[in-house]
Amino acid sequence: MARPREDKPGGPQKQYYRRKKVCKFCVERIDGINYKDVKLLSQFVPERAKIMPRRISGVCSHHQRQLNDAIKKARSIALLPFATE
Amino acid sequence: MANYEIMFIVNPNTAEDEIDKINTQIEGVITSAAGQILKIEKMGKRRLAYEVSRFREAFYVLFALSANGDVVRECERRLRVMDPVLKYLTVRVDEETRRLDKMKNYRQKRAARRSSGAAVATADQAGEEAI
Repeated sequence: MARPREDKPGGPQKQYYRRKKVCKFCVERIDGINYKDVKLLSQFVPERAKIMPRRISGVCSHHQRQLNDAIKKARSIALLPFATE
Repeated sequence: MANYEIMFIVNPNTAEDEIDKINTQIEGVITSAAGQILKIEKMGKRRLAYEVSRFREAFYVLFALSANGDVVRECERRLRVMDPVLKYLTVRVDEETRRLDKMKNYRQKRAARRSSGAAVATADQAGEEAI
């Protein structure tokens, strides 16, 4: 049961606004995700060198799939790491 | 005929002319089989993301070519045999570039349509104001 906010001490409760995540590739109109573009790809491989999940990066499924392919290609030619210690 | 990109990495201790020799050899394979070379790019020495046969850095070379699959297979075989070559990667690119061209065209067309539509709208507005 939700209590009306006015009842709570300390005034109205703080509301959290979650910023809507947007797909970087859709917004910036990046069409081809190239495996040679290490600078771009490395934005989506955090420290541990795992591929960043969509729920965190906000990339749309279409681009996530392309990104996935590109990162895996880059890994196989040692442009990106498979894993870091 | 399809377009491919072959990228390979060479032992960092090889001399520059040694790399050129490898390049001319691969070039020979491609041109002798009626393939076309679109680009040869020596990307220079780069740090590797992980150790490859105990090397932390290597020379990157990129070939862009238009040829049949057999040519690519032969190139890969040669690269495998060559000692200084540590790793190689072949990617087929023509389908991707075709898709990108299509996208680009579509975008341009849409932009053109939109701007012409905007022009019409402003003209309409001007007409209304005149009335």
